[in-house]
Parts: sequence; C-alpha cells; structure tokens
Amino acid sequence: MPQARFNDPVRALGLAKRFGTVRAVSRIDLNVAPGEALGLLGPNGAGKSTTLSMLTGLRAPDAGEILIFGHRAGSPQARALTGATPQLVGFPDQLSPREILGYAAARYRVRARIDKLAACFGLERIVDRRVAGFSGGEMRRLALALAFVGEPRLVFLDEPTTGLDGAAQEGFQEVARDFVAKGGSLVLTSHHWDEIEAVCDSITLVDRGETVLEGRIGDIRKRASVSRLTFSLPPETVPPEWMQAVHDGARWHSECADSDKTLRRMVHEALPFHGLTVAPLDLKDVINRIRREETGP
Amino acid sequence: MTRPLRAECALELKTLVRQPGFWVPTVLFPAMLYAFFGAQSAGDWAANAMAAFAVYAVLGVGFFQFGVSVAQDRESPFAKWQQTLPGHAGNQWIARVLASLVFVTVAVALVVALAFVLGRVEVGAAALVRLAFVCLIASFTATFMGIALGSLASARAAVPLANLIFLPLAYLGGLWVPPMALPSAVNAVSQWTPTRAMGELGWAAIAGTRWDPGYLAVLLGWTVISVAVVVVAHARHRRHE
Repeated sequence: MPQARFNDPVRALGLAKRFGTVRAVSRIDLNVAPGEALGLLGPNGAGKSTTLSMLTGLRAPDAGEILIFGHRAGSPQARALTGATPQLVGFPDQLSPREILGYAAARYRVRARIDKLAACFGLERIVDRRVAGFSGGEMRRLALALAFVGEPRLVFLDEPTTGLDGAAQEGFQEVARDFVAKGGSLVLTSHHWDEIEAVCDSITLVDRGETVLEGRIGDIRKRASVSRLTFSLPPETVPPEWMQAVHDGARWHSECADSDKTLRRMVHEALPFHGLTVAPLDLKDVINRIRREETGP
Repeated sequence: MTRPLRAECALELKTLVRQPGFWVPTVLFPAMLYAFFGAQSAGDWAANAMAAFAVYAVLGVGFFQFGVSVAQDRESPFAKWQQTLPGHAGNQWIARVLASLVFVTVAVALVVALAFVLGRVEVGAAALVRLAFVCLIASFTATFMGIALGSLASARAAVPLANLIFLPLAYLGGLWVPPMALPSAVNAVSQWTPTRAMGELGWAAIAGTRWDPGYLAVLLGWTVISVAVVVVAHARHRRHE
C-alpha cells in the first residue's frame, strides 16, 4: 500500500467517540487515497454512521485526528471539497429536487448541472415535483445526486442503494466507478457485499467500534485465495473425509486453497461427482475466514 | 447579496410560503382577529387596537418561524446535511431574519390596512413610522423567545407549545382586550409580560408619548432570559451529541 500522505482525501487516526456511557467508536483508522473507493463495512451498531458523521465534521471525535485533504474535518476548506448524502433521507416537503439541487450548487458556488444529474440518477420525471409523497427510492436517488452536485473530490455515501431497484443500483454503480476513474475518492458504507466489490477497491471492516481489517480487496483475496468447489454425488455416496465437504440439502460444497490439487485427487480417487463448479469464495466468506484464522485458536 | 445567501433566502421563503400551516396563523390570523375584535373599538382605543394587533402579528412570526426551525435544526436530517455544505452557517440565520421581516411586514401591513378601512383609524405618518420601529424592537425579543422555545421543544412539540405560550401571552398582555378591561389580578400579572411591554410601547408610539423605561426593561429582561435559555439548552444538546 502506498505511503499515506498528509493531504490525502482522508486520513483518520485513532478515532474515538462515546455517547454517555456507550462507546460508539473506540479505535478507528481510515485512509483514502486520491482515486480510491473505500468500503466501510461492519454489522449494525459497529460505529459506521458515527464514523461518517465525524468524517463530515458533524460530530467532533473525543480522541484521534481527522484530516480531509490536509484540512480539519468540518472546516470550510474540507466542506468545499466534500459531498455527502443526508444520513437519513428526509427533505422539506415544499421543495422540488431541482430547487434543492440548485440550492446545494449555490452553496458550493458551482454551476448547477441539474438536468445532467437528474439523468445520471434517474430523476428526470420527478425533478420538478415537490418532494412530498416521494417514494423511499426516489428520495434515495435525490440524496445520491446531492452528494455529487458540488463537484466534490471526495464523497461520503451512507448506505447509498438501500431501497433502490436493480436498475437504479446499477446506474449508481456506474456513476460511482466513473467518478473514481476520474480521480475522485469515495467512502461508502453498505450491507451489500456485491456492491462493495463492484465499486470499491479497498475495504475497512469495523466491529464494536474498532477497525478489525483493512486493505485492498485484491490483496485480501490473495491472503485467502480460497476456492469453493460445488458438486453433486449419486445418492448414498459421501465425499471422503479429507475434503471436509458440507451438504446443503441438494449439493456438496468444499472450500480449498488449491482447487487444482483437490480436483486431481477427486479424480484419482474416482469420486463419482457431476455438475462440478469452481468459484472464488465470496468476499464476505473470505473475510470471515481471515477473521476466524486471526482470532481462532 | 452573495449567491449562497440568495439561495438561502430563496429556500427559506419558498419553504414558508408553500406552507399554509405557517402563514395562515401568523400572517392572516392577526388581521382576521383584528377585524373580529379590534375594529369595533371606538374613540381613543381604535388606533391602540391596531397597534396591539400589529404587535400580536410580530410575536406570532417570531414564535412560529424560529421556534419550529430551531427545533428542526436539531432533528431533521436535511438540516444536519446542510451543515456539511460549504459556506457560513451565518447565511442561514440572515436568511431567516430577512424572511421573518418579510412576513412581519405583510402581517402588520394587513392589520394596518384593515384598521384604515374597517376601523376608520386616522393616524399620521409619523405615528406609523414610530409603530414600525416598535415592531422592529418587538420582533427582536420575539425572535429570541422563539429560538428559546425551539431550543427546548422537539420539532413535533414546537407548534402546540408555541400556541400554548403565545395565545395566553397575547391575552395577558392586553393585546386582545385592552389592559383597563382586564380583571385586576390579571392586570397585575400583565405588567410583567413581554406582550404588555410591546403593547405599551406601541400605544406610546401611536400617542407620540415618551417610552416608559420600565417596559423597555421588561422587554430586555425577557430577551436576556431567552438568550440564557438558548445558551443552557445548547450546552446540554452538545453534551448529548
């Protein structure tokens, strides 16, 4: 991983935040380079939203330091370079997306390219309607457009595609990849592992307020280059003990580090398998495996 | 006016103008109530009734606009998101004050217009200018009282709570019923209300008499108390953030 630089989009070290007696965040480190998309992952209550609110300057950390392009989080310079989605989606009922987007563009002092944004995020048909009565998906698409309206160099997205249909999700991923390809940086929280893989090149996994795993997705995959073999066997047949295969009721699954070697041994032992597929392990399973190995006996 | 400030003003005005729940009670009610209860006042009190309902209008805008928007600032995700945008938060306050001046001006102008048409009130331009100045002073106190209310109440509770404070205050201050018609116990309390102070200054403006420093002190007192409430509530919210 390249050396982190002072004026990187995000440099956060040892963040801690407590609410009363609850420690929401106790030790979180984050680094985002220019043109990097970081997925912030973790179970509910892990501290993702608290972390985002500190990165956007809405909350001050109790301990630790955050620099956004070398500026203090929440400082005027940092805000001018940053875009964010509202954390919960709710807009004044009386306004239309065009008015809200125009307002935000004025705050950033950039030209309002509202029709282009509306096209990117599928808002064309509703851009002049008042927000009152918008569906959850429509609100979410407006929230996404708002994160990008100021032509920021760094964007924070909190659960960007929750409640979006398939087409809108794909549309968002395209915009996000395009933004990153042009040198923009992205921090996104999501529960969808496939979305993280589709958009991000690195991840930071947090659990109970701490960073427990971070790295580029490619490197993480290499650390645990595990494949999953899936196959069927005739009834009454079971795979040999060494495969440690599990049956899901229809097919057998076996995880192995070297699928070629495993496959050769299966053939050598004349296992009567059929319908065999070999696939890399899902990112989620890879991470679970790494964490098991790290914390296991 | 800078572009961000213009945008802020447009947002504030559009949001409020498209919200009849805001401008019906604050802009129309004072004129309507004046037509029902104030316009019949005869003799000396005719012009004073106009001043009383003008002050009543000022208080309503301050209470409802600032009470609700300050309560929403803490709770609404949109207000939170606005804090992540570039630019000064001061613009938002300038926009709110400018918008409140627009609404106060319309509300007071409606009362004065009705007074001229229905009440056949005859006052000179100088008296009207003095009354406008009193309205400005009153809106200062009313705004801080509204902010104090919004600092204490949740967004959901802000409107009913504003009504619960605002309407009794209007009665106690002698804005609906002239002070001399109030029961003596009520009149004793009345002396200490901000509404009575605003009313007395308004009546002095109509009559062209000297302002009673006592009532100015009452107004100042309510302003200081409101600011103190805002400061304490703000510190408490910060601790819980």
